[in-house]
Amino acid sequence: MRTFLLTVALLISTAAFAQVPSVTVEDAKGEAVDTKEILSEGVPTIVSFWSTICKPCIRELDAIYDALPDWMEEADFRVVAVSTDDSRLLAKAKSFAEGRGWGEDFTLLFDKNQDFMRAMNVSVVPHVFVFDAKGNIVYSHTSYVPGGELEVFEAVKKCK
Amino acid sequence: MKKLFLIIYVLALVLMPASAQKKDWGRISASLESNHHFYVEDQANGFTPSELIQMKEDGFYATNNYLKIDYFKGRLSAGTQLEGYFPSMVGYPFPENRMSISNLYVSWRDDSYSVTAGTFYEQFGSGLLFRSWEDRTLGLNNAMLGARATYDWDGKISARAFWGIPRLGKLSEYGLMTDSEGGFFGLGLASKVNVAGADLSVSISELAGWNNVSFSVEGSVINKHEALSDNLINMGCRPNNVGWSARADVEVNGFYAKAEHVDAGKQLINAFFGAERGNAQLVELGYNSRGLGVSFTGRRLHRMTQQIYTSNLMYAPSANIISYCPAMTAQHTYMLTTLNPYNPETGTNKLRAGEIGGQLDAFYNFRRGTKIGGKRGMKVHANFSAYYSLNETGGVKGGEPLFLDFTFDVEKQWTKKFKTTLLYTLQDYNKEEKNFADEEVYVGMSHVIVADLLYKWTPKLSTRLELQYLASNDYQKDWMAALLEVSFAPHWSVFASDMFNHGDSGLHYYNAGISLVYSKIRVAAGYGRYRAGFICSGGVCREIPAYTGANLTLTASF
Repeated sequence: MRTFLLTVALLISTAAFAQVPSVTVEDAKGEAVDTKEILSEGVPTIVSFWSTICKPCIRELDAIYDALPDWMEEADFRVVAVSTDDSRLLAKAKSFAEGRGWGEDFTLLFDKNQDFMRAMNVSVVPHVFVFDAKGNIVYSHTSYVPGGELEVFEAVKKCK
Repeated sequence: MKKLFLIIYVLALVLMPASAQKKDWGRISASLESNHHFYVEDQANGFTPSELIQMKEDGFYATNNYLKIDYFKGRLSAGTQLEGYFPSMVGYPFPENRMSISNLYVSWRDDSYSVTAGTFYEQFGSGLLFRSWEDRTLGLNNAMLGARATYDWDGKISARAFWGIPRLGKLSEYGLMTDSEGGFFGLGLASKVNVAGADLSVSISELAGWNNVSFSVEGSVINKHEALSDNLINMGCRPNNVGWSARADVEVNGFYAKAEHVDAGKQLINAFFGAERGNAQLVELGYNSRGLGVSFTGRRLHRMTQQIYTSNLMYAPSANIISYCPAMTAQHTYMLTTLNPYNPETGTNKLRAGEIGGQLDAFYNFRRGTKIGGKRGMKVHANFSAYYSLNETGGVKGGEPLFLDFTFDVEKQWTKKFKTTLLYTLQDYNKEEKNFADEEVYVGMSHVIVADLLYKWTPKLSTRLELQYLASNDYQKDWMAALLEVSFAPHWSVFASDMFNHGDSGLHYYNAGISLVYSKIRVAAGYGRYRAGFICSGGVCREIPAYTGANLTLTASF
């Protein structure tokens, strides 16, 4: 256990240096998108990895979706929801996201063989990153409990 | 070996901060997953005698560890994954103590092309023809070791090609410390099994400059080379097995349609019935628009079990496939809805040459301010799926019903603090299996209802209660279950749950745990009695033995 804690402490010191890698994923139309392009608009971005069988992921994205009108009054930012569902659930994931209204406010990406997930070293979902306007990771967390979205928004506001 | 594993990853991580602090040196990203099980003897939910002997040898302790490190500098990336099992947890494919480098790669990616040497993952189309991927829950990692190149011409034409040795699941996984057959990184296997593949995708709409329509045609081909015994060749297997797929995708104003045909080449049905040519067809239709999502998936599988290592089919190792034939049904998550997950009929049975069926999913969001949606909206979802077996010749006539599932759920946010989810599912599984007393039993039909109630006492303090009931005439009869979870955002969560098989065994499957999340680090600990059953991923289901004990999981990602 001591070794793990040491490892964790060492890893923390590297956190601020990670940025988004270049990986090909699909957009909602099934067309190829380079993940570097998702940060090209020069505003802070919340990137949330989710899947249709991950209930905490869905709760977190719903909470962000519900809070979005209020949050947008305080900060200018985007939300990118990255589905990690494989081809078994890919069609369902697209319908699911639209059926929850996420397509109206979020950029939807689909990472069907988990290439982007691996490149970002996401081992479990939900996993949320906040990128500042320059594309640097300023916050990330794994797991979700109700109310956890408030910490995400605090990180977005600090990007100003 | 365990100490060596720890030394390697600590050394690697000690070097990381130093290298990361200088921008010119590039940057490093890493993740760590460490799972520990501490088993106890439980007369009511015990191990089999042979498992118990193994458990005693292992000191009733098992641990699975994964450390993944990636390095990026401009267009260059490189990385590795270390795996350590000391020994592996019950039900995983690597029972013995082992540490291995499971992945090691270097890759260069330009705007239009990329090349990768070492291990890589790849998928052609839906994966029916070829997929290499990792699923740690299942103990599956069929990464390819070889080389891959991709080329993309401005979104109009893209091409991929690779050659590699597939990492085997159980029998001779390549790795730093592996069996004599695999050798260092499995190079000893190269003459036995290797796979080459190519994929071409042409976007007609991009080439023609269409704005409102997306239309593409795609094709793939793979060749699996395997050194086969004369016996297998006489059974119809081929040392060079060529498969191909053709696909078309179209999307217009929210409507989409996909079609795929796969010819998988000669597939060994089993050691007694020889080989037959496998094929599959997949159709997806859907409409997604504001607040509405509807999708239909239809699929036919005929002799589609693409084993990596045909010669060892007799042992039927899990995680030993390169084709992806998942169950296309509702994927449930509540405790009682997952007791008997559907495992697709891929055609390993002489009389059942495969399956045909489909599923329909519909999602609708009653928007805020509408009569039904009320102040905070309401979400509804329905799924229907049905599958039938193919007869011996691959036809539908004479096929039997295999599986039927109807699910309906509705989510409603009543107030700012209170949210409910209600779910009903009917599952009818035409399956005989052996129970744990080695008796033939029938799974049959079950009805499950679930109420999931979430109450937020404060913006950060919440409780969630799940109440579930399963009614069935199958061999285990009725079940009930409950779960209570208390969370204090963003760091703490505790839960307790119980599944009670009051209709038959009278056993309680209790479970309680706590989790702490701090930024990218999550630590979870629990204690419980876990039921024997199946976890499924792709066309593979892994049987999990029953066990009782404590577990500890650490995940960290940077």
